[in-house]
Amino acid sequence: MSANRRQAVSVERLEQLERIRRKAEYVFALAGNPNVGKSTIFNRISGMGVLTANYPGMTVELNLALTELGGRRIGVMDLPGTYALGAVSEDQLVARRGVLQGNPDIVIVILDANNLARNLYLLLQFMDLGCPVIAALNLVDQAERNGIQTNVELLSEILGIPVVPTVGIRGDGIDELMHRALEMAERKEEYHVLPFSYAADIESRVRRLARRVRAELEETPYGLAPRSLAILLLEADEEFTELLKGTARGEALLRLRDRLAEEIEEEHGERAALIIARERHGIAGSIAADVQERRERERARAGERLWRYTTSFRSGIPILMVVIIALFAAIFWGGGELARLLGDFWDKYVGAPAGRGIEAAFGVNTFSQSLNWAVEGLGAVLEIALPYLLVFYVILALLEDSGYLNSVAFLSDRFMHHLGLHGRAIIPLISAVGCNVPAIMGTRVLSTRRERVIASTLIVLVPCSARIAVIMGGVALFAGLVPALLLFAVILAVVVGAGVLLNKIMPGESSGLVMEMFPFRRPSALTVLKKTWLRLKDFLYIAAPLIVVGSFLLGLLYESGWIFKLTTPLKPVFEWWLGIPAVAGLALIFAFLRKELALALLVVLAAQTIPGVTANSSLLEFMTRGQIFIFALVCAIYIPCVATLGVLWRELGVKDSLAITAFTVLLALALGGLANLIL
Amino acid sequence: MLTEKMEEYLEALFKLSCENEAVSPARLSEYMGVTAPTVLDMLRRLEADGFIRYTGPGAGGGKGKPSGRARKNIVLTPKGERAARALVRRHRLSERFLTDVLGLDWESAHREACRLEHVLSPEVEEKLADMLGNPETCPHGYPIPDQNGHIREEEEEIKPLCDLCPNEKGRIARVEEEEPQLLQYLASLGLMPDVNVEVKEVAPFGGPMLVKIGDAQYALGREVASRIWTRKRRRRGRGGPR
Repeated sequence: MSANRRQAVSVERLEQLERIRRKAEYVFALAGNPNVGKSTIFNRISGMGVLTANYPGMTVELNLALTELGGRRIGVMDLPGTYALGAVSEDQLVARRGVLQGNPDIVIVILDANNLARNLYLLLQFMDLGCPVIAALNLVDQAERNGIQTNVELLSEILGIPVVPTVGIRGDGIDELMHRALEMAERKEEYHVLPFSYAADIESRVRRLARRVRAELEETPYGLAPRSLAILLLEADEEFTELLKGTARGEALLRLRDRLAEEIEEEHGERAALIIARERHGIAGSIAADVQERRERERARAGERLWRYTTSFRSGIPILMVVIIALFAAIFWGGGELARLLGDFWDKYVGAPAGRGIEAAFGVNTFSQSLNWAVEGLGAVLEIALPYLLVFYVILALLEDSGYLNSVAFLSDRFMHHLGLHGRAIIPLISAVGCNVPAIMGTRVLSTRRERVIASTLIVLVPCSARIAVIMGGVALFAGLVPALLLFAVILAVVVGAGVLLNKIMPGESSGLVMEMFPFRRPSALTVLKKTWLRLKDFLYIAAPLIVVGSFLLGLLYESGWIFKLTTPLKPVFEWWLGIPAVAGLALIFAFLRKELALALLVVLAAQTIPGVTANSSLLEFMTRGQIFIFALVCAIYIPCVATLGVLWRELGVKDSLAITAFTVLLALALGGLANLIL
Repeated sequence: MLTEKMEEYLEALFKLSCENEAVSPARLSEYMGVTAPTVLDMLRRLEADGFIRYTGPGAGGGKGKPSGRARKNIVLTPKGERAARALVRRHRLSERFLTDVLGLDWESAHREACRLEHVLSPEVEEKLADMLGNPETCPHGYPIPDQNGHIREEEEEIKPLCDLCPNEKGRIARVEEEEPQLLQYLASLGLMPDVNVEVKEVAPFGGPMLVKIGDAQYALGREVASRIWTRKRRRRGRGGPR
């Protein structure tokens, strides 16, 4: 890992962690392998909304919350899912920072009962680090359906720690888990005896190094136990090796480490780090074998059979096609129908009465006219953005929770190599259609900076739900389905083209795919609804007020006549080059705040400036079909919205985020101009 | 330092492991014709010196866990494997000498070779090999490891994971070390030498593979799979005579 690597955990998160530490009596950390349901349990505990999904790597950030338990204030820290606590990937680094810097009082390790052996590896590593550990055996219901029975008492006895069976999604066992953790924290138990030991020759060297640590260092880094530090050093851990360099005593320790590691390598023919990993796997495997009983299933369950169909190439590709078509159909017809219903309701019961009310209260002047614009803006939210977003979010949640995206990653790996990425990157790319912001954070699962820059650039080009709403509610509704599909095809071509181009011009090459695959889980209706609400909440609380305020401001500008002065300098770009009205260009500029604004403001503009029309029919009086197409195209491609730009800035730095922004603006202008020439 | 007794255990372990994947202490005590406590005592010494290690279900385990030891399997560490192969080489060279040159029958040749293998110096061993024309098999047809312990037939069996077909099983032989980070990451997943793998699915046109390891399934890109070398699960035809 290069020294100049961007800090894994943002400074704000560390400050937030500090604040929580000060307020809380105890801090618990939630740890576990990817996709064992940590975030689900975190949401249960904290009552917070962290997005969850059935694929590895959904959370690559420390999530923090403050909660109350038995009259005590508890800070809870959700670590990203990792297989180990090394420093070989971003998720591992974040988890590691959380544990070392957050210094939790209790580490709650969440184990997947379906794959206990591998899950125990991480738990053993926490024990090696000297953390007080308590285990939750999650997904026990699913394991039982798979014919796996776990003897929880025996597991608890062998490990010497409390083990609580849980079903995170139903909330079973969570209360007990938290209370056991609190009990443990209050007793301040220390581990005197580890429940396991390594092979005799490894163990003797660990002890030797630990004795030397005790002799040489008055204070170990992060206050680690000498044994823990000794193991980390024998594992050739870069961070701690780096920390010991420079002092005479540290160097002496490192020399002893090198000698011992060499001896181990000499004897075993493998690097010491690998031997220790092997030992841990061995111990984990033996414990799992002791506490679990398996009944051979007579037949593979239907879910698993279906899953295999989706990963097999011959059936998987047609299934993927069907899913994509179904997705578009549902958004187009489902969203369209919903939009019509809401539109009728709005016009009849809210829009018209509100207009009369405003006139009665304020008379007819600039202010009251502008208020009318704001009301119209609220209507646009309901009629145009909301229905499409709602349908889309439900489908996205279904896709995420079922685990289907794993299969898509598998199927697309070969193709993604043309874009300089691998299959794993398809997941942030697909989740980008929900919102670009978490998708860009999701690129942290990619291992090289090159991959992250390419993936982030492509994500910015992927139309998010807001832009899909603009396309569906604008182009599809007013210009027809075919132009809308054509627009999606153009955007897809742009994404692929940009990927191929970046792969060509950026030095380096793509790395390989290594990703755990999970069979389907039946999505829980409750989780799907919750996720939909979480995403919608973001729209309703942030985008909707923005649209209303933006409409009001646009109204003020228009009613006072200022708008014409403002749009004059925009004319060459918008009217001459793109062929759309300059006021529509103003809506595009506003949309830098939220992309939904583009269409909402446009509709308001049309409804307010052309008499006698409602939002449902008005746009065509204001712009031609071709103009709407160009408008949506430019809106979809130019500048990421302000939130996206912010997260790009944080993840990739100033230079790359500005380069991506400039690239998208130029691309949007080029494509828009081209479309204007053709149409 | 290895005693003669320890050497015999190593040799026995090597031969057993050639025929059967799993060698438990019970199996070893039956093979050596000694009691279980004797075997466990010797195994402790071999483990402490880094010649063997425990693996598989029942490995590791700790204090106060009754079921551990008995269910564990024993494997030779590379250090142990080297020592065992050197012994097997001396044994089988001696057999060749005793039958080809001195004209002993196979049965007596084996008995005599059991004694000679412990006393041959490396120098005599090499002269013997030279004189016999570096034979590749013993009189019973089992391969003779070369000076470095390599057995030719075995090398040919190794192939990269990406060459395996769907539903083919293998055992990881080694992982290329060019990228230590990848190596470490794979190790944390349990993808390391001596681990069994089963290919479930191979995407066409150089696409990824779906590989089952333990209870988990992983998607591995072809370029990653090409760096993981596997051998057939069962090693064949290398066991010495009883």
